[in-house]
Order: sequence, then structure tokens, then C-alpha cells
Amino acid sequence: MYAKGLRNESTSPSPKGRNQTVMPFASGLRTLSIVTVAAFAVSLSLVFFYAPLDADQGFVQKIFYVHVPLAIVALLGFVVGGVFAIAHLRSGDSRWDAYSYVSIHMSVIFGVAVLITGSIWAKASWGHWWVWDEPTLVSFLIVFLMYATYYPFRYAIEDRERQARYASVFAITAGAFVPLNFMAVRLAESLVHPRVFATANGGLPGEMMLTFLASLAACGLLWGTLVKLELTAKSASGQLKRLRRALDAPVPGAASRVAPEVR
Amino acid sequence: MPALPLDEAGRYVAGAYVVFMLLILVYVGIMAAKLQRIERDLRELASFAEQGNGHKKAAPGREDEDGEDRAQSEPVAPGRGSEDQSISVSSGPSESRGGDG
Repeated sequence: MYAKGLRNESTSPSPKGRNQTVMPFASGLRTLSIVTVAAFAVSLSLVFFYAPLDADQGFVQKIFYVHVPLAIVALLGFVVGGVFAIAHLRSGDSRWDAYSYVSIHMSVIFGVAVLITGSIWAKASWGHWWVWDEPTLVSFLIVFLMYATYYPFRYAIEDRERQARYASVFAITAGAFVPLNFMAVRLAESLVHPRVFATANGGLPGEMMLTFLASLAACGLLWGTLVKLELTAKSASGQLKRLRRALDAPVPGAASRVAPEVR
Repeated sequence: MPALPLDEAGRYVAGAYVVFMLLILVYVGIMAAKLQRIERDLRELASFAEQGNGHKKAAPGREDEDGEDRAQSEPVAPGRGSEDQSISVSSGPSESRGGDG
């Protein structure tokens, strides 16, 4: 019964989608989790046993392999949330709104990790927890705070349809701001923040680049796994509410307006 | 700034990785609690449904002869879509519900 509850019907409007039952969230979650754990095992092994020590920063540079991939995945996640929001506004299918919400939610969590690991790295490298005249740090903080307003903005609207629509507009606007912000920072003159890609000196050495890419893949997989996990939980919760209504069972609490549900 | 000695740098590196792991663990813990709540609700609902069936069986006059068919042809909850506008992945009442996939 529980497993059945997690199964959701295809929403494809095309005739092909009819009579086709899919399980969009729960299917493959276990495999994805195992792959993610394996990817992290490989990436951490590479970080601590394969990648050479940085000549300038020494051992502290190992923070780079968690901080930068997390930042890239978080920023990409914000953009992906915007793309899902476009799909929501175009199709009117509220499933895309759930995707957008969960993508942004997960990226905000990753953003917290980016800010904390970045502060630790800054303290170790520069002697300060935070440097206000460094555009990369401040721009990421601006993006993070902008997405932090997504929640009160969303929950302030009671009507679910309007809430989803306005949240999608926000996600698209903010998602477009992310690459613009990134480009603006790259154009900034300050070179206090280490530039390791596409520099005149050739960027990262091969071993470091391989380790970095492995870490990036692991972080990307982690993001995907957690998004899938949250969507599965939302789907189960939505199915449960649906079942409760079907049985006319008493509702233990008020319906959640905190997050979109997936029925 | 010159590179920190290994023992001092190790603390910062460990701190960064531990913070990252802790964040993930906290998130997974929250999700686990959420899934536990769903499971508990589901158990309550199952017992509620069983009690309901018991009442129906106790009252033979109200017994539904084609209850099985009705359950399949009317899976939609009463009042669906009225008060709760939660996100749906079902495309409509005409969609097939068959096939476990």
C-alpha cells in the first residue's frame, strides 16, 4: 500500500503518456544513494591521498575540494530551479513548481555549507572569517540572501495557485540573476580570491583537476539524491493526504502551507 | 600569508569537512523524522480503514455489492481539489490507475 502510494501517474499531456504509470520520485533512489556514497568515497580518497599539496597554501587548500564544488552545485541548482519554474509557468503543471521549490531549497542548504566552509577557509588563509571587499564572497552572500527571501515570499501567499505562480516568477528572475552575478564578479578587478580556472598560468595541475572534478561529480550526485529524497517524501505525504480524504478520515493537523505538496 | 603548519591547517580542514557532513546528517535526520511521521500516519489510516470496513460488515443492509469495482472506478476523494490545492502529479480522473510499474 505504501509503495503504491508513492507511485504517481504520468502527467504527460500527450496521448503517449496515457495509461502509462510511472514512479517519478521513488524509483532509482536507492541506486542513486549508493552511487552518491561511492562517489564521495572516491572523491575523499582522491582529496586526501592523491591530490598533491598546494605549494602556496599547503594542507588548507584541501577545503577547496568541498567549498568550490558545493558553490558550483548550489548556483547551478538555483538556475535549475528557475528552469523548472519556466516549465511550470508554460505548462501550468504544479509538479514543476514542486521541482523548482525543492531545487531552490536544496541549493539554499548547500549555500549554507558554502558560506561556512568558505569562512573557515578564509580564516585559515587570510586570517579573517569574512572579507567584505572580496566580490566573490559578497556576491555569493547576496545570491544566498536573495534566495533566503524566497521562503517568506512564498509562504506569505495563502492561495496555492497564486503562491506557485509568484514563486515561479521569483525563481526565474533570481535564476537569471545568478549567471549575471557570476559574470560581474569575473569581470571585477580584484584578484584576492584565487582564480584557478582558465588563468594565464594554466590553472589547476592534472591531479588537482581530476580530484576537483570527482568532488564536483560527488556534490552534484548528492544534490540530485537529496532532491529526489525530498520529492519522494513530499509525494508520500501528498498521497497520504489524498488517502485520508478518500477515507474521510480525521485530519490530525491543518494542511501544510509551508511547502508545495506532491499528490 | 604563508602556508599554515600541518597541525593547525588540519584543524581547519577537518572543521570544514565536519561542518559539511553535519549539515548533511541534520538534513537526512529531518527527512527521516518526516518519513517516520508519514509511516505513523499511514498506520493510523490503515487501522481507521479497517475499522470502517468492520462497521460496514456489521451492517449488512449497507453492504456494497460492487464495492470492489467502486473502489477502483472512484478513486478520487470526495471534495478533491476544493479546499486543498496541493500539487498533483495525476493528470486527471480519466488517467489509468492500473499497472504497478
